[in-house]
Amino acid sequence: MAVGRRDGRAGQDVLRRAGEASVLILISLAGGPKHGYALIQDIKELAGIELGPGTLYGALDRLERLGLIEPLPAEDRRHPYRITAPGAAALRVHLDAVERVSAAGRLRLQLGGI
Amino acid sequence: MDESRAARLVQAVLRCYPARWRRRHGHEAAELAALLIRDGTPAGSIAWSYLAGAAREWLTPRPGRRLSAVACALLAAACLLGVSGGLLASAGPARAASTSQARPRAHGRPGSPGPAPAPGRPQVIIRVAGHGRSR
Repeated sequence: MAVGRRDGRAGQDVLRRAGEASVLILISLAGGPKHGYALIQDIKELAGIELGPGTLYGALDRLERLGLIEPLPAEDRRHPYRITAPGAAALRVHLDAVERVSAAGRLRLQLGGI
Repeated sequence: MDESRAARLVQAVLRCYPARWRRRHGHEAAELAALLIRDGTPAGSIAWSYLAGAAREWLTPRPGRRLSAVACALLAAACLLGVSGGLLASAGPARAASTSQARPRAHGRPGSPGPAPAPGRPQVIIRVAGHGRSR
């Protein structure tokens, strides 16, 4: 079940319920293709979150099924992944949505004088 | 835990994944675990993460896997939990068991197997496919 413009879900935040790990993986892959270990290291630097390897592979499989990432030819025993065009579009939509919520939250804090 | 024992633990946990997953990620997952252990991540936390991942992998419905297989896995897990709960309950204090045996029935009619309905309360009988039971 791949996400794309064909199925009429373009513009919808498909990552809303995908989980934090999936979003962090997409953000990491937006900087270039990476394999599992490189992803864990990059996400640790980027967000200060250490993804467990079981969580990582679960999220990679889910994102691949959705067509948001794709595997590249294996290097030795490692399988690098890269973000696809629908993946980049989905990440953009999700980050826009997060930004809107974040801005609203900041405004309410400001107005409430908290 | 030394590296060889940690590697054996991870290998054992990786065997919990479905064969399809192991064919695809097995070697890479073992190598990733070795790298993380070398970086100082505790082997136990890596094993736990893979174990949780394996459980999710079995329980997530896939296009190629029938929903009944998932239901069977859930049922088996529930049965295991029930058996464990039953064993725990049976290992409770013996005093509680003897007290409940000595206590007479409060509302039981002589000769009747179960409690009688409260006075003034209508007895409802539900019949499903020829079987009747009292409420």
